[in-house]
Amino acid sequence: MTTQQILFIVCSAIVLGGALLVVTTRNLFHAALFLILSFFGVAGFYVLLEAGFFAVAQIMVYIGAISILIIFSVMLTRGMQAMTPRNSQAAIAAVVCGAMFVLMVLLYQRGSFTLPGFGVNGTERQVGAIPWAFAGEENNISGVPETWIAKFGFSLVDIQQYALPFLVSGILLELALIGAIHVARERRPAEIIAERAEIAAEEAAEAELPAQKPPLPEVAPAHMESH
Amino acid sequence: MEFNIIKFIVDPIDGFIRNLLGFSPLLGDLVTMGLAAVVICTLAALSFMALTYAERKIVARIQDRIGPNQAGPFGLLVPLADGIKMFTKEDTTPRAADRGVFNAAPLIIATFALAGFAVLPFSPGIVGTALNVGVLYTIAIGSGSIIAIIMAGWGSNNKYALLGAFRTVAQLVGYEVPMILNLLPIVALTGSMSLMDVVYRQTLANGNPGIPFIVYFPFCALVYLISGIAETGRSPFDLLEAESEIVAGFHTEYSGMKFALFFLGEYVNALAVAILFVTIFLGGFAGPVLPPVVWLLIKCALVFSLFIWLRGTLPRVRVDQMHDLNWKFLVPLSIVNLVIMLLIGKIFVATEATQQATGGIVVGYYGQAAIFAISNLVVLFGGLALAARAGRVRRLADEKIMAARAEQNQLAASRAIAVGK
Amino acid sequence: MLVTAGLLMGVTLLAASLLRPKKPSATKADTYECGIETVGDTWVQFRVQYYIFALVFVLFSVEAVLLFPIAVAYNALPLYSVLIAVLFIIILLEAIVFAWRKGVLEWN
Repeated sequence: MTTQQILFIVCSAIVLGGALLVVTTRNLFHAALFLILSFFGVAGFYVLLEAGFFAVAQIMVYIGAISILIIFSVMLTRGMQAMTPRNSQAAIAAVVCGAMFVLMVLLYQRGSFTLPGFGVNGTERQVGAIPWAFAGEENNISGVPETWIAKFGFSLVDIQQYALPFLVSGILLELALIGAIHVARERRPAEIIAERAEIAAEEAAEAELPAQKPPLPEVAPAHMESH
Repeated sequence: MEFNIIKFIVDPIDGFIRNLLGFSPLLGDLVTMGLAAVVICTLAALSFMALTYAERKIVARIQDRIGPNQAGPFGLLVPLADGIKMFTKEDTTPRAADRGVFNAAPLIIATFALAGFAVLPFSPGIVGTALNVGVLYTIAIGSGSIIAIIMAGWGSNNKYALLGAFRTVAQLVGYEVPMILNLLPIVALTGSMSLMDVVYRQTLANGNPGIPFIVYFPFCALVYLISGIAETGRSPFDLLEAESEIVAGFHTEYSGMKFALFFLGEYVNALAVAILFVTIFLGGFAGPVLPPVVWLLIKCALVFSLFIWLRGTLPRVRVDQMHDLNWKFLVPLSIVNLVIMLLIGKIFVATEATQQATGGIVVGYYGQAAIFAISNLVVLFGGLALAARAGRVRRLADEKIMAARAEQNQLAASRAIAVGK
Repeated sequence: MLVTAGLLMGVTLLAASLLRPKKPSATKADTYECGIETVGDTWVQFRVQYYIFALVFVLFSVEAVLLFPIAVAYNALPLYSVLIAVLFIIILLEAIVFAWRKGVLEWN
């Protein structure tokens, strides 16, 4: 057993064990902490795959930001310390997750599928099972640095590669923030009154509508064909 | 930098271990890294002791007193006394505390604080692990210790500890943002996230001009310094440990060794921020005559003395002032500065080769540095002017309200007197 | 590195646990509340402010993860690529301006 295999087994144990503990523990806060343990395991996987950048990004984004968000939202639920959450759909969830896992393994193992009718002139078409994004393979622009982080960064802003998804993800982030702020912010009393008045006016307008139907338009008699 | 004393010591040990474990290069890597980790941790702990002593003495002198001088000559054995005290104090755990979480939190904080030392370059070629994502690693380590603070606050089962933990996290999370934003121009100019490369970019190696980044980006350096001080929870941002306020914040219920670990974590964090600032902005271990390690120690000592000076001199900020400073001043200005720097870097390039590749006006290295510095200062002073104007507007409005209220009071008073007659 | 640091700290804690006196008493095990008895449930009024700050930090974290590789590739980027990156930054700046105008960045 090489050292790498041992490390792989350790990381897998951390990820899977953490995930198992997340869904089985009674205490919500402990569940959040075990989730963080799982994230550390995933970061370990990235390190084993020699993708150090993604390991660090995982720690920074998932553990440093999203976990805090999860913990804060756990704290926001009142009486958290008294709750003992029970999941009545655990069995169904397990079956569905297992089926999805099997499906993903099959998709990964097959190279491609033939889809009837999607090709040119209605013939069948080969589609790749999983569209592997590989940045930097086809660019011919000189001066692109050799390290893969640089290639990744270059591909994010290259118009021929992933610039559009990059900008769309920026807009998505912005929309998420705007939505969350709109839902979560504390309204001042004047604003609360204004919002309630607006909702009441809308409901009144809708309630009046069936009572005051607009008069039916005059229907001209159908033009009878002279016979 | 021809004769490197640290390399002289490290290389034979490194070679010996690798030869011993020749059957598995990965194991050899792990063992050498483990050994390096032990050495770094020991050095960090020793310097923690020296730093606590230095801080108490210097702050005392600023406050016109002498500081500890009873334990040993000139009070030099005070850190030792502190250590003995920490070891032998009783470790009370609140009855209703969550054992696992409560005990794990100080361990995690101290571990993360020490782990931040893994990517700091101490000498050319001497670094714990030569990560090519060193800059991002330091930010990730900062984010990681935030979780431990929540654990500490929650595990204590104490209202004030939990509240203190939340406020601490709000502060730390807020001040990470300017840190991230102000490291981006440095990484852009260096072309790499590795801290060793950042240092080399500031030396005369590989055709680089020997210009430290503080000359290139004074605004970035200043904001990074402020954010770093706020990240470590030192004065003037130490509102969370203010003894008169929320008791001791998230570590209220800790005593003995666990509290010592929190304390260690704070000072080691401050030391890491100082060394990072020196590495990124002041040129790290670069310097003309002395060995590189000595230069690093000198610069780091100067920066840490600056930290202590700020602690002894400046008053504490209020919590809403702190958040206003961050989100309404530092963050927008940092974004604007980043955008301007990115654009300028493409318009005014330093070498002919870059002009061939991506176009721009060639101004040479020094010209580029000058243009960056000037625009940075423009952003800084422009931002300060805007903030001053906003402050003045608000102050005038407040004064108007106060004047109106005073007038009302006087009217009411005179009316009362008239009625009383 | 992390593992070694953790082990070292663990050893220190272990050593300390052997050395210190162990005299538990009922008063010492009580929760601390400025020297008086605890009143009410141990549950804190959690303001939504904390959540907003954490959310904005998530935003900037993701932005940083995307911007750092772009910064690494900066020296080889043509100007229009840098403009795309600037556009991304401005999109996120707009989110912050929205938060500011709606007054969620106040600490009350």
